[in-house]
Amino acid sequence: MSPTSFKRLFARHGEIGILAIAVVAIAFFSLSSGGRWANSFNVGTILQVTATLGLMSLGVALVMGTGEIDISVGSTLGMGALAYLWLSIRIDPVLAALAATVVGAAIGWFNGYLVTVTKTPSLIITLGTLMIFRGIAIALTDGFSFSMPYEQRDSVTYTILGGGDLLGFSTAIVWLVLGVAVLSVVLYATPFGNRLLAVGGSSDSAHSRGVHVGKTKITAFIVCGALAAFAGALEAGKLGFADGSMGRQMELQAIASCVLGGCLLSGGRVSLIGTILGTFLLSSIQSYLVVMAVKPQWFILLLGLIVVFASYGDQRFRTWAAKV
Amino acid sequence: MSNHPLIQVKNIDLHFGSFHALKNVSVDFHAGELVGLVGDNGAGKTTLIRVLCGIHTPSAGEVYFDGQRVTQFHPSLAINQGIETIQQSVGLCDNLSIARNFYLGREPVKRIMGIPFLDFKTMRKTSTEVIREFGLRDNVSTDDEVGRLSGGERQSVKIGRAVEFKNRVVIMDEPTNHLSVREREHVNELAVQLKQQGLLVIYITHDIFQVHKLADRIVIMENGEKVEDAKTSEMTADALEEVIRQGGRQVEKRAA
Repeated sequence: MSPTSFKRLFARHGEIGILAIAVVAIAFFSLSSGGRWANSFNVGTILQVTATLGLMSLGVALVMGTGEIDISVGSTLGMGALAYLWLSIRIDPVLAALAATVVGAAIGWFNGYLVTVTKTPSLIITLGTLMIFRGIAIALTDGFSFSMPYEQRDSVTYTILGGGDLLGFSTAIVWLVLGVAVLSVVLYATPFGNRLLAVGGSSDSAHSRGVHVGKTKITAFIVCGALAAFAGALEAGKLGFADGSMGRQMELQAIASCVLGGCLLSGGRVSLIGTILGTFLLSSIQSYLVVMAVKPQWFILLLGLIVVFASYGDQRFRTWAAKV
Repeated sequence: MSNHPLIQVKNIDLHFGSFHALKNVSVDFHAGELVGLVGDNGAGKTTLIRVLCGIHTPSAGEVYFDGQRVTQFHPSLAINQGIETIQQSVGLCDNLSIARNFYLGREPVKRIMGIPFLDFKTMRKTSTEVIREFGLRDNVSTDDEVGRLSGGERQSVKIGRAVEFKNRVVIMDEPTNHLSVREREHVNELAVQLKQQGLLVIYITHDIFQVHKLADRIVIMENGEKVEDAKTSEMTADALEEVIRQGGRQVEKRAA
């Protein structure tokens, strides 16, 4: 392949960078850990983390696509988990998961509404709601945790809702695959997706063509909140309990996944597949540090370094690819 | 030319914070008319047409379209009424392909189980035909991102889009910017053709001599005010240029 055609390919598919990094990382982790990393149990755990973090990251990627950001998703996930657990012992678990998703959608709407009406940067608004909903989650649990009784966790419904396995892997993975498939089609093949990317590319231009910029942004926030809360329900279904700190700092990993995956922070370019690869890479690194018995606090340090270098590298690579 | 104006602007004011961008402006625009809107930078030309195409809501005053009072301002409403605008600084999203920009806001869809999917075939086919007509080179595909295009090519996309969707009004804000001499002539011929088809054409430019040859009427703006509104058959380009040159002073005189 000639350098020019490779540049073209890369310019169109930003995922190539993260895919290359992920392949190298997998090879390195497998070879250097002597089987402790590359075994079905560990990979299953990685995929479980990828599933919940991934669903959350997909929503963040959509919001990022509009040129905004949602850093409140960690708290939204916590709220979703608590809502699901509290309701699932009272009503049908399917309804409970649905209600948890609605709670997330409402939080998303709240974020989007505040951002578009007050015209305040979404970073500030969602920083505020991150703390607001974390505070509510802690107040609700009051130092204890919500849980569901063991005898309830065996039913088919719970299995489907992230509480069980399919072919040896958590059913949460199925939800992630479904989420990527549906959102990819929505983003690239529907008028809504076209308008979402247009808003992120240039909100003034989109507005001048009759696109309702505010509504588009609010919709992205609603989807983001709903996905985060649904991910929370799946996680709660897996663990069977949740406390007020559930989902803490996951927002940072979600944003890191998006940036690693080739989403532009300034909006207008979204790669959902890349985002999932980014999530997978982060979960893999985390798991590698665990199986290699590296202290977990190194993860957050490493995460920060990776985000800084990856975003810098991505930007350089892109500038290079744009020069055809 | 019909008797009642297609667009009637009555005593509109527009403030951006403390900046008074439009001051008590009243203008009538008729169907089948080509109106040149002329004035210096910052005179309020673009602001005025941005009210007409729904981007700005006037702070005071009234706008009538086809005899109906306009109560809500949004580009989508203006577009639905048949007002197409070639904006100067906005209108294209660099991150999207030509075809996606072409149809932004009114994408053709194919419904599968009621869900609207983009009709890529129509989007590509029509936009390719139109942009070729407006001088886009054969090696530019409608799948290319607009950000890769030159200034002239970007302008061609905007003009092609307006002509494709034209309905009742075409507003052109400095349409010949970035264009070669031949392309400029093409755009000017096009403006006259659209007018002959019975559309209202509002043509904004700095160049009074260029637009005087095309227009039926010239409206001159200065410091957010209308300072002249004359038929080209009644005033020469030189006389109008003198008004622009004197414009600021006239405004001061009137205020005194």
